[in-house]
Amino acid sequence: MFGTFKNGVTSGVLAGLLWGWVSMLVNSISGAFPFEHTILYNLVVFSAGGIIFGLITGGFLTLLGGRLPFNSVLPKAVLISTSFWLVLRLGGLGLAMTEPERYHPDIPQTAQGLVLAVALGVILSFFWKKDPAINPR
Amino acid sequence: MEIVRELENSKGLLLAVLVVTMACAMVVIAYGVDPVAPGVHDAFHDFRHTLGMPCH
Repeated sequence: MFGTFKNGVTSGVLAGLLWGWVSMLVNSISGAFPFEHTILYNLVVFSAGGIIFGLITGGFLTLLGGRLPFNSVLPKAVLISTSFWLVLRLGGLGLAMTEPERYHPDIPQTAQGLVLAVALGVILSFFWKKDPAINPR
Repeated sequence: MEIVRELENSKGLLLAVLVVTMACAMVVIAYGVDPVAPGVHDAFHDFRHTLGMPCH
């Protein structure tokens, strides 16, 4: 494994929490989707969603990081986060094809999602490097 | 904790936990499948749109 499970989860949770807030900020600036809920509500939801996504990404980085053909943790984390997002997006595409009246894809939101997926990998790599258990001073 | 030690030592268990977590995240967060979990569509609606997941 690439690092320990505990370190991977810790880094993933912290990175995901920060990423959730960054996602809120990016969407507010880009205007890809006008928020339908209040800021406080979205703060809680984006934090929870970010933590879960960060946890999954950190976990897979722990599990698969040693097998990826990169020396640095940054490309590994970005590859895992974007792959995770791509899997979700392809599943959404399948749902849109089976239930087109229920699921509508949107190109600006999809593009934003891809950018945010890369951002999650970057943030996770930052927290990964900062973890003293992985990089003791 | 015992479960943490088990996860540290078992790649298979870690993979299983991650896959289950991912499946739950897909149902609840990414797609908001109301027939499976009532109310989740509205709960993570804005988050889902921000990530680019299709929704009405």
